[in-house]
Amino acid sequence: MSKRSDDGSVGGDDFSSADTHWSQAAQRYYEPGGTGELTTAIVYAIADAQEVSPNELRGRPLYESVDVPAIEDAFFRPDGRGDSHHGVGSVEFRYTEYLVKVRSDGWVQVYEPTEPDRP
Amino acid sequence: MADESDPDEDVSSDASASPEAQLPPPEVLELDPVYEALGHPRRRYLCYTLLEDAEWSLTDLATKIAAWEHDVPEHAVTRDQRQEVYISLYHAHIPKLADEGVITFDEATERIETAEHAEQVLTALEGMGASLDVNQEVHARSDMNE
Repeated sequence: MSKRSDDGSVGGDDFSSADTHWSQAAQRYYEPGGTGELTTAIVYAIADAQEVSPNELRGRPLYESVDVPAIEDAFFRPDGRGDSHHGVGSVEFRYTEYLVKVRSDGWVQVYEPTEPDRP
Repeated sequence: MADESDPDEDVSSDASASPEAQLPPPEVLELDPVYEALGHPRRRYLCYTLLEDAEWSLTDLATKIAAWEHDVPEHAVTRDQRQEVYISLYHAHIPKLADEGVITFDEATERIETAEHAEQVLTALEGMGASLDVNQEVHARSDMNE
């Protein structure tokens, strides 16, 4: 029980600990319907936060961390009639030590954990 | 952050215990990989290229797809255009197609090869695609001109 593989299981303590403070490290704007994909916008934003080239983000495909097409469907997919049935809000998930937030207005924001300010 | 060597758990779900009742025939159930694989234009394009050649490098594929999307020759694809496709292949479409058993991807060599479900996907693609994505097919099956 002491050792758990990090197979995407989000331990409650890990995620919602009141001690974890987050500060925004990078953001990218995703434009639905452009040539760029949401996956790419997220990877670019994480690479910005890490200050590396997107090509260096290897070994852990985003596919294994989050269902990007589901986010795309919820927020951005055109419904073919010009109507907007899109959800409004944001989705958050963890990728390595980062917290990634995809907002329905198209902004992808990456947060890194910071030391809490103690008085 | 220890470098964990993930022993790639092999979840072989052999549905041998299924009751012989009213399940549809296997070939119908196995349409799932076809729909999943072909549900995105970049994956359709990738599958067309597999009709041309059963093995590809990730960089060549990214270049080919970018050339098709931007309607330029492969040598005119910019670094940014190629990178955008490359990233989406690596982080989304390649693992998806590998999950569906259509391709295998060798992380070290970045080679993509057809896998056990490739044949049914490519057969379906040839049957359904010609009239819908004719430009995509023609482009994908053309030789790399470098």
